[in-house]
Amino acid sequence: MATSPQPAESNSWRQFKAILRKDIVMELRTFEMLTSMILYTVLTLVIYQIALSQSGSGFDVRLIAAGLLWLAFVFTSMLGLNRSLVHEKDQGCLEALLLSPVDRPVIFFAKAVGNLIFLLIVQVITMPLFFVMFLANRPLGGAWWMIPLSLLVGAIGIAGVGTLLATISVNTRGRDFILAVLFVPIMYPLLLAAVGATSAAVLGGTGYVTEFWRDLALAGGYDAIMLLAAYGLYEFVIGA
Amino acid sequence: MDRKKLTLIALATAGVLTLADLVIAFFVAAPVISNMSLDIAGVNIGGKLFANPILFSQKIFYFHVPVAITSFVVFFFTAFYGVKFLMTRDRVFDTKARIATEVTLIFTLLTMLTGDLWTRVEWNTWWVWEPRLTTYLIMLLLVIGYFVLRASVEDEEKRAVYASAFGILAFLDAPISFAITRLVPSSQHPVILRLGGGLDAWQLTAFLLGMFGMLCFGYVIYQLRYREERVRERIEVLKATLED
Amino acid sequence: MDPVLQQIYQLVVPSLPYVLGAYFVLWLGLMIYVAVVMSRVGKLEKQLALVEEAFSKRA
Repeated sequence: MATSPQPAESNSWRQFKAILRKDIVMELRTFEMLTSMILYTVLTLVIYQIALSQSGSGFDVRLIAAGLLWLAFVFTSMLGLNRSLVHEKDQGCLEALLLSPVDRPVIFFAKAVGNLIFLLIVQVITMPLFFVMFLANRPLGGAWWMIPLSLLVGAIGIAGVGTLLATISVNTRGRDFILAVLFVPIMYPLLLAAVGATSAAVLGGTGYVTEFWRDLALAGGYDAIMLLAAYGLYEFVIGA
Repeated sequence: MDRKKLTLIALATAGVLTLADLVIAFFVAAPVISNMSLDIAGVNIGGKLFANPILFSQKIFYFHVPVAITSFVVFFFTAFYGVKFLMTRDRVFDTKARIATEVTLIFTLLTMLTGDLWTRVEWNTWWVWEPRLTTYLIMLLLVIGYFVLRASVEDEEKRAVYASAFGILAFLDAPISFAITRLVPSSQHPVILRLGGGLDAWQLTAFLLGMFGMLCFGYVIYQLRYREERVRERIEVLKATLED
Repeated sequence: MDPVLQQIYQLVVPSLPYVLGAYFVLWLGLMIYVAVVMSRVGKLEKQLALVEEAFSKRA
């Protein structure tokens, strides 16, 4: 009995790897999604400079740094999620996948992990840029590794639930607009907790470690609940 | 036509109860929670000490809270019928989920209106990013998103599936955002409504009247709108067959 | 009305009638909405009866 589920499991794993590899190879061929996401983030940073241009040198950017960082990621991730599923749909990949005997949950996890990887690449490239541009002369209040950790926990939720929402929105009229309308309110609790965690790491101060872990736990709890729900619902959505 | 009678009875009950709630809350119920802690400079009225800012706004409790609870109860049915639709693929459940969301929209708007009557008086501002307010704004946006989504899908089957999925996700999201808005901000938001003590008999009566009355209102609006949709669908089907 | 209550209302909110009025307007709005929906349902049901009659004549 113990050996019988073994082949099925490795089969799903193989399917998972195949879909993921396809997404990555397609991206590596054109770099279309990554370039557009990174460029979009850089443009957002330029807009931040405009927004902060009148605030004077006395203004401590660290107070709003976490919010600015997440704002840039929210917008670029909406762009990326929409892109990633528009590609699938326009090239008929999704239909082909549905016709093939691939387990539906595997499709969800492969797409979500693919989106997560792209999101993390964008974060790795743009986060140092953000710190150099806005926080160069200001010391971090907390430990540096806390910031990537909070970004990762946030990105997991964004990629997971975002994949479900983008699969819905790509089949509607006004794709990207619908994605924004669905994405922002659903993501609200996650973003609030993630900004709280990142902010604690940037600002430091008394008790910031407890604050960081509390907010990170909240974000993680959201990830767990909503990913489970998204996973359960994906099968219905993709079959429609 | 049993449903019809029940709806009428519920309507009468809803009207009477909420009106009674209005009258009792303002004219009979005591102005404050009896054993509330008086940590703010109190005022002496009729030989009793009352905490000034909480005196009158406590009245919000009798309408605002029932309406808010009702909006959430109805929102549950959006998710419930969404699950039922996904299990059975019966279009009836999609219609039910849609009507439930519509009623949620009405009650969410009512919650914000009955709340906003007080914010200016009580907090001296029209809007505060306070946990409860924020949660309701998010809930309003989720409900609006639900309808925007419906409007942008042409295929009926797809529309129903997407709406069900989003409805379920939205219903899960609302309590999470309620919890997180209260847990995350460190200490920026004002503390309102400290309902420290117990309610006296009249206060409890008013609250329960309002609660039950609003739930009845929710039921009535749901039933009426649902019947309207069903009749409309039936007319369309018959007309289509007549034209053939 | 309880004299203590009256005193409190006069002290805290001189605009009690407006607040009461606002609530009453909301309540009335809810009732009017229900009435409008009810009349719509009534009209539709009449229409349905007509269509059904036509249908049974046809059949």
